[in-house]
Amino acid sequence: MKHSSFFWFVLPSTLLMLAFIAFPIVSVVSQSFYTAHEQVVVQVKNCGPFGCSMETSVDQEATAALREAEPLGKFAGLDIYKDRNHLAFGEVAAAWVNSDGLPDFGRSLMNLPFYKAMGFTLTYTAVVTPLTILLGFFVAIAVNSVAKALKGPTIFFSLLPMIVTPLVGSLILFWMVDARGILGTGLQWLTDDPNLSVKASTGLMWIMLMVYGVWHAAPFAFVVFYAGLQTVNTDTLESAMVDGATRWERIRFVVVPHLLPLVTFVALIQLMDNFRVFEPIVSFQASAHATSLSYAIYNDLGGETRLLSSAAATSVLTIIGIAILLSPVLVRTWRDFDRK
Amino acid sequence: MSSKATRQPPTIRIMATSFLVIWLLVAAFPFLWTLWGSFKVEGDFFSKANWANALFGTLTQAETGGSFTGAGYEGAWVQEEFWRAALNTTIVCVFVVTVSLTCGTLGGYALARSTHRYAFWFLLFALMFRAMPPITLVSGYLLPFFEWNLWGHLYTTVIVLVAINQPFTLWMLHSFFKNIPKDLDESAMVDGCTRFQAFRHVIIPVMWPGVITTGLFSFLLAYNDFAVTTMLLSKENQTMIPKIASFLGTTQTKGNVMFAVSAVVSATAPLFVMVMFFQRQIVSGLTAGAVKG
Amino acid sequence: MARLQLKNVNKRWGSFVGVDNFNLDIADEEFLVLLGPSGCGKSTTMRMIAGLEDVTDGEIILGDRVVNDLEPKDRDISMVFQSYGLYPNLTVYENIRFPLRVRKVPKEKHDEMVMKAIHMTELEDFMHRRPAELSGGQRQRVALGRAIVRKPTVFLMDEPLSNLDAKLRVSTRAQIKNLQSKLKTTTVYVTHDQIEAMTLADRVVVMNAGKIQQVGTPTDIYDMPANTFVASFIGSPAMNLVEGALEGGTFTGEGIRVEGLPTGPSGNITLGFRAEDAEIVDTGGQISAPMYSIELLGEASMITWRLGGALVSIKTNKEYRAEIGDVVQASIPASICHLFDTASGERIAL
Repeated sequence: MKHSSFFWFVLPSTLLMLAFIAFPIVSVVSQSFYTAHEQVVVQVKNCGPFGCSMETSVDQEATAALREAEPLGKFAGLDIYKDRNHLAFGEVAAAWVNSDGLPDFGRSLMNLPFYKAMGFTLTYTAVVTPLTILLGFFVAIAVNSVAKALKGPTIFFSLLPMIVTPLVGSLILFWMVDARGILGTGLQWLTDDPNLSVKASTGLMWIMLMVYGVWHAAPFAFVVFYAGLQTVNTDTLESAMVDGATRWERIRFVVVPHLLPLVTFVALIQLMDNFRVFEPIVSFQASAHATSLSYAIYNDLGGETRLLSSAAATSVLTIIGIAILLSPVLVRTWRDFDRK
Repeated sequence: MSSKATRQPPTIRIMATSFLVIWLLVAAFPFLWTLWGSFKVEGDFFSKANWANALFGTLTQAETGGSFTGAGYEGAWVQEEFWRAALNTTIVCVFVVTVSLTCGTLGGYALARSTHRYAFWFLLFALMFRAMPPITLVSGYLLPFFEWNLWGHLYTTVIVLVAINQPFTLWMLHSFFKNIPKDLDESAMVDGCTRFQAFRHVIIPVMWPGVITTGLFSFLLAYNDFAVTTMLLSKENQTMIPKIASFLGTTQTKGNVMFAVSAVVSATAPLFVMVMFFQRQIVSGLTAGAVKG
Repeated sequence: MARLQLKNVNKRWGSFVGVDNFNLDIADEEFLVLLGPSGCGKSTTMRMIAGLEDVTDGEIILGDRVVNDLEPKDRDISMVFQSYGLYPNLTVYENIRFPLRVRKVPKEKHDEMVMKAIHMTELEDFMHRRPAELSGGQRQRVALGRAIVRKPTVFLMDEPLSNLDAKLRVSTRAQIKNLQSKLKTTTVYVTHDQIEAMTLADRVVVMNAGKIQQVGTPTDIYDMPANTFVASFIGSPAMNLVEGALEGGTFTGEGIRVEGLPTGPSGNITLGFRAEDAEIVDTGGQISAPMYSIELLGEASMITWRLGGALVSIKTNKEYRAEIGDVVQASIPASICHLFDTASGERIAL
């Protein structure tokens, strides 16, 4: 394809991506170095019948003018990154000195908003990704070995948890595990504890969020693996059978190696998606027990005072996290291409 | 399934079947339960006394005289004006899908046909953009959008959603176009077309299966989005998903959680219908496209 | 009116050389075949002529203009693709009419021109069907019809027969030959099948690894292969090649000794001869070695030895019988031998 025709064909997409993805990233990075202007304070001499006194008041006009002139705010360098809501170097150092032993240090770390969010995000990603792959794999194997009649309905119902809006899907589960909902009541009955409430317990909340994560993502893994199973080479399976392989050995030596590239693919997509976990925390109203990086940004942006700089700093840290997460994949893709 | 290698002994079949039945219950039961419950009063949906109330609607009968009530739906759609949100969602989805596909087919076609190295870099950058959580981008939008008075409007949200979905759309369409033999457009070019004429006369008539599949996913991305719509839309322009989220804040205190429940069921219904009609395309999109929204 | 010249044409992708310094002058009305194994650059050469690939270096001259920078549509060529490139949404008739439509040929002429092409390709019965409803051979004829519907200066055909079964290939081959002689249009034809090349071509260009190995009429190439590559590529079975040493007119290799060769060259030599030129003898043969296999071909039998690393076969009458492992002799007179330099592979003139 000629350079010029390529250029014109990709122009609309490129403009859109530059304006609404690349430029905002730049804008986020620069925003994260600025902090909001403080209000301009003026000293006014207030003279009344009982003599004069000095009063301080906010000069609304000057504040507005200043904000107008420099919408980004005051340059703050790396201060925002270092404050208590982000990397919190000071607090971490203090916690390190004051803590007795690693577990205690960990506990104090989890009281800092950024580390709390980071902790949950990483745990969520690390737990949900492999469980999703495993559950998806077993469902695919099971569907592949039952009669054809069950296949259609299985695929239909399996798609639902994935297709349904994450916010809505997690709400549905949340209502069921409510202390008065069917699953919540069931849990109380099982544990024989009438006061058990998922909402009140950090541990249960984490588990519920991860259960939702697996429930939501497993269908994707299932569909991909199921499609992969359809292309397993029957000749290889049959020759393994002739060679005397048991059922388990056939799965182990023929099916699994065949699906391995798909596992990498599913894992990559799941890592990206799980790292941005966000909606279930809103639905579950779980912010007291679990927050994620995305939720922290949402929280900063959504409040009465929109904390743009704070959100920007968290965003930059999130982007760095994603870059680290994806770097092995990108390096491999690049190498593969280079070899060609 | 005639091959002996793929036939299973009965024990394994029974195990597999029962595992599947459990999975199906886990996957489908929450939806059925909520659908059923949405026609009850709150006292039945959240029953402290007896979970079976939700099934038989004991309190619903006591309060309204029938086993089913549409009060939740009436409250949500009429009183809370959920119809407005539904209308906004329709507008946003229609425009996002149209614009995404227009830009995406052009770009995806060029990426599939170019053999130059920069096409690969383009796709790699798109993959990196795909990994960005939308909410991180939103924090970059707010300030300029306030400055230039773009905040709150539906069209801003449409353009933003199109842009955010563009990397995914490009990847998916690129792999679909790769499967259309390049002999086709090349013979058109030899027959006397320019590159664009070849695209218009020869590729457009045969690209619909891939475009429909990609369109479904574009629709899902727009329909399901929460991060962008909740942050960039003013209250009167809200779409369904942020509207449901705002129910959680306001109506729960008023004891009208049933509004939220019926809104949730209303928002799920179109997706249910979609899966019913387009199951094949969704499955092929998840696998053939090798990308997920 | 349509002479096609390629002058020092090169195609490189980064450090990979696809076509290396290609020079060729194709006369008007000539049927030229580019022949070579897959990946040898023959398709790339044709695609550069069509304008589907950019030329890295050199000039392509069609008639009297340099066409390097012209779009395919401006080069006045037509092309038959390997998988035909038929438009699936158009009927046979509309497929053939497509070039006329996009080239803005006056509408009133369309029907006459399309019907003429349909007659020539014998597609009358199928003209309102879509490509999906046609057999492979019929699709191939639609592609041909679309190429001949207008009068281009050059026909390009990229392995047009490779997707047909063996029987259909023979009859379509004859049809292409017949069409070309009627239309008298310069034709460049790409194939990896040496029989197609031999039967169709006025001249054959044998290519390997991006380079021209030999240009000549089919007879030239068969009788006087320019190097070991051409020798091993042309003919069925291909020419036997045995490595050995030549000293004073006598060639010696494992299990083979040929005398009476020219005394000029000496050293490491590869000796070549064709299976059909040699014959089995009872005594005094130049080859004397245990037989490796015997295959019955129907009209003849093929005897094979393993000499050094190479398998050497000759044809004999179909009644001949011997057991594997028996010592069998064959006569290889000096007159049927070709000599090649082992190191360079080049032919040594006798």
